[in-house]
Amino acid sequence: MCPDREILSAYFDGEIAAPWEREIAAHVATCELCRERLSRMEETRSLLKEEEAQACRAPMERVRRRILAHVPQERQRLSAWRRQVSLPLPVAVLAAALLLTFGITLAVLATRSTMGYIRVTKVPAGGTEYQFAVPYDKVEALLKSMGGADANIESVMTIPKNVKLVPVGEPRMGKANEFPRKKP
Amino acid sequence: MITRRRSGIVPLLLALAVAHTHAQAQAADTDPKEALQELLSKALTVTVSARVLPPDAQEETPIWNAESTKLTLPGRSIKVRLDGENVRIYLICTPYLQDDGEVLLLAQGQVWFTESQDKENRYFSTFYSIPVSFGEKVLFFPLGLSDADTQQKNHFNIEVEIKIVPYEKKQ
Repeated sequence: MCPDREILSAYFDGEIAAPWEREIAAHVATCELCRERLSRMEETRSLLKEEEAQACRAPMERVRRRILAHVPQERQRLSAWRRQVSLPLPVAVLAAALLLTFGITLAVLATRSTMGYIRVTKVPAGGTEYQFAVPYDKVEALLKSMGGADANIESVMTIPKNVKLVPVGEPRMGKANEFPRKKP
Repeated sequence: MITRRRSGIVPLLLALAVAHTHAQAQAADTDPKEALQELLSKALTVTVSARVLPPDAQEETPIWNAESTKLTLPGRSIKVRLDGENVRIYLICTPYLQDDGEVLLLAQGQVWFTESQDKENRYFSTFYSIPVSFGEKVLFFPLGLSDADTQQKNHFNIEVEIKIVPYEKKQ
């Protein structure tokens, strides 16, 4: 007697345990009708596998397009500079405090330095004066990298050794008539 | 699109080549003597005089002076170095001719100064741009300009004078 459709389907799916599985296998080996049913089941399974892949592709693509259509255009093209990052509040506060401390330290160091500054001023003659003052050791390194202070010096004048010169202010330059006390 | 771009570049390259060849031909025709004369007509004489003045404000006779005269061209710098026992001064002057016939003097002064063995060294670098007429004197005080108070402390004053005039061939 042939097994009914449900039992044969369960056998096809490997859901029948021994010894019934062996019994059905022995029957199928001798029954043309059952072999034909199993063959149809096999065809149906293959057909479903192929169609499943093709049938899913189109709906998935439609869904993807719909999602993208709802995402704002700017967000898609947002550069790294404009991208927003969310931080926990304590971390953001800590970062801001660190930045502030760093800035204040830099400002204090800059104002404390007596020898390091750049100053640009308009001179009465109509020109511009640029003053630089930097620590000695840094200047030496700078000049070394520039090829030395003595490079391309055309004339050398030697001041007598008995003349002890003392700076009385910052270097100044201008037209002779700007310095009325001097009568060269 | 690429073809269109090429068609625009080719005439441009041809025009440049023709212009270059024309310029070369013209340069070859220039007489070296004329070229030298043209160069000398733009040459400038820069005189740099340095002097150390005594502390007494009334005394104008320098206790030391030196002068250097250099021939240069607009845009080409002349360099002078003054060496003292505790000071070294660099003066780099670059004159430029302006459209109105006057000169724009770009000057850089560098001062290296050592107070004494146990004190710190100082360095000052200053740039100036000063429009001047031919023959007009420019003064540079590398160690500052002393006032009456500092002069009473017996400090010497050093000043450097710069004067620019057109080059004149000596007969």
